[in-house]
Amino acid sequence: MSDGYILEKRKESAVETFFNRIFFIDFIKGLSLTLKYNLSRSITLRYPDEEKWIPYKRFRGQHTLNRDEYGRELCVGCELCAKSCPTDCITVIPMEDSAGRGIADRVARVWEVNLTRCMFCGLCEDACPTEALKLGREYELSCFSLSNAVMDKDRILIAGQGEPLDLEATGAEPKGWMKVSLDSIDYITPLDFKKGDRVPANYEGGVNAAASLERTEDGIRVVPDLSKTKKWW
Amino acid sequence: MPEMATILEVLFIIFKVVVVTMILFSLPLPLTWMERKIAAHIQVRLGPFRVGPHGVLQPFADMMKLMFKEDIIPYKADKRLFRIAPIISMVPVLAAFAVVPFGNDITIPFLNEEVSLYIADMDVAILYILAITGIGVYGIIFGGWASNSKYALLGGIRSTAQMISYELPMSLAAIGVVMITNSLSLVNIVNAQQGWHWNIIYQPLGFFIFFIASLAEINRIPFDLPEDEGTLAAGYHVEYSAMRFSFFMLTEYVAMVLASVLAVLLFFGGWNGPGFLPSIVWFVVKVSVFIYFFMWIRFTLPRYRYDQLMTIGWKILLPLSLFNVLITGFFLI
Amino acid sequence: MEQIFFFIFAVVAVGSAVAVVAFRNPVHSAISLMVCFFQVAALFILLRSPFLAAAQLFIYVGAVMVLFLFVVMVLDLGRASFDEPVFHRRIWGIVVVLGLFAEVVYLTLKGEPSHIKGPYVDGAMMNNTEVMGTLLYTKYIYPFEIVSILLLLALVGAIALTMNSKGE
Ligand code: SF4
Ligand code: SF4
Repeated sequence: MSDGYILEKRKESAVETFFNRIFFIDFIKGLSLTLKYNLSRSITLRYPDEEKWIPYKRFRGQHTLNRDEYGRELCVGCELCAKSCPTDCITVIPMEDSAGRGIADRVARVWEVNLTRCMFCGLCEDACPTEALKLGREYELSCFSLSNAVMDKDRILIAGQGEPLDLEATGAEPKGWMKVSLDSIDYITPLDFKKGDRVPANYEGGVNAAASLERTEDGIRVVPDLSKTKKWW
Repeated sequence: MPEMATILEVLFIIFKVVVVTMILFSLPLPLTWMERKIAAHIQVRLGPFRVGPHGVLQPFADMMKLMFKEDIIPYKADKRLFRIAPIISMVPVLAAFAVVPFGNDITIPFLNEEVSLYIADMDVAILYILAITGIGVYGIIFGGWASNSKYALLGGIRSTAQMISYELPMSLAAIGVVMITNSLSLVNIVNAQQGWHWNIIYQPLGFFIFFIASLAEINRIPFDLPEDEGTLAAGYHVEYSAMRFSFFMLTEYVAMVLASVLAVLLFFGGWNGPGFLPSIVWFVVKVSVFIYFFMWIRFTLPRYRYDQLMTIGWKILLPLSLFNVLITGFFLI
Repeated sequence: MEQIFFFIFAVVAVGSAVAVVAFRNPVHSAISLMVCFFQVAALFILLRSPFLAAAQLFIYVGAVMVLFLFVVMVLDLGRASFDEPVFHRRIWGIVVVLGLFAEVVYLTLKGEPSHIKGPYVDGAMMNNTEVMGTLLYTKYIYPFEIVSILLLLALVGAIALTMNSKGE
């Protein structure tokens, strides 16, 4: 092994082997290892009864469509996401709308993603020119009916924060193409979190939050309580 | 008409038998919980957590489940034998506790009566325990044979060979202790170890042989070949379900307790210990440590192969135990 | 009281001994034999020798019968092996049985019948093992040693047989 990557195991002498056998050295090593694990903290959570893992920001879960700081839809219906998707699971049908619903004169009339085919690669997110599309942190995607696995715009567009701009009245300039950083969405301090709050986009994540299991008409949800979190690892 | 004292004595014996049996029957409940928790924590998991705080009620849930399950008897099984096999395996381990002493004599507060903490003190207690636990293997053999299934039969055959091979070193290791204390009665053996003269000091080799052999006798990892999941599905109890299956499980746990008890009585001074705790507490503490050790080993070691098992039994443990007897004899002379 | 126990054990012992021969299934016969050994062990206790009882359990029930069962289960003896003709089997069988019966009758008539030897928990009972050991190593030392040598021979013989059958 001249490449130096493989450490050669040191040869035991016969005497050493003999003593190792007699005093059960390997056995004791094994036992102490398992004892260490026995006393260490376990890595599993009491999900879904009491705890829930809140992933980091970079996590790629269920898609969300975002809005800008005035509450306008960021999606301009350019279909780039649909084109870039390797599994062809996004359908976008654009339409004209100059009422100020979106940031441009074009919005998506239909925006659907079929989660049964999606592999959460994130290419759609990268392709989106306005950062409207983001793979969020929702990972509980099981549902009772297959048709529920097709997420449409109503279900993934985040709720508006603020009134839609009345451009005529305020005389404000539409901003056109712009990049809205997700951090511009109101920051909420952890203490303000109530049970059942949606995990905000700018929440750091990587914590283990207290949670409760809730049954709703659509299925079962584990609702995290972000005011009670524990740092994990 | 017998006198009052005789009646009282008989009543006490019956009472003791009932109490010991109740304890033994309920022991698997905490033990299964312990085993699952220890398994979980060694594997960095949490283990049962949903029934009761920290899952302590899980064994009760399991018990309910086992009680309400269908009792399936295979069509081609030897039905009578299939039915009694779990009982045959259970009775000997319970019977072995008849001669196990649990502590010093205690005085009952109101009756002012000395009560010994054993059901019987036999002259041949060790021999009796070793003999009667050897009978337990019949439950496994009959269970395996009567199921009329390949895996079960193989499990039965393996367990016969294993029991025979390991009974010898186990008994011979116990002989070392008998030679030192000059008695076959467990009470005398424990009394001879008073004041830190624990036999482990004089018989370390004997203890190792005894411990390894008892691991094999109670079918625990690394010697659990009769119920090897990897090659035999579940071995001798593969066809069993519901309460009959749970009898086998109960046997296994009680046998583990018995092995711990024997190790404590023979080598670790029984209930002897510093005086600030009652003798029975010392006894329970020591036995618990051993039970933990058994579980700890289970989740540390892999299983031996069948030929390795035989090699260890016949070529290593048996000569070593004979050697141990010889050495002990020399020292005594 | 003791009489009652004696009769229970004796009846079960004889019954199971008959069952050993009567059962067609070899495993069932083996079980009956085991029950029989068990009853004999119980009778030893009635005779005030717990050591013998424990040894009976240990050796016969715990080891010999297990080996029997092992062989029976592995070989799966069919009916055919029982019908294997042995030279004048029946005649020799009858002769042996009659001889044994005569011996039993003689011993019963001439011998000293076992009688009750005192309460259970007295000194003699507790020292049973000691007494036995002393006797074995003093008075009966020669029979004891001869039996040991016989067993050793059997052991060596068994090993020699298996070595040969390997064809080496
Ligand atoms: S994450 Fe990948 S597979 Fe899923 S919709 Fe986006 S591009 Fe398609
Ligand atoms: S989500 Fe982005 S990429 Fe997709 S259609 Fe809308 S703006 Fe275009």
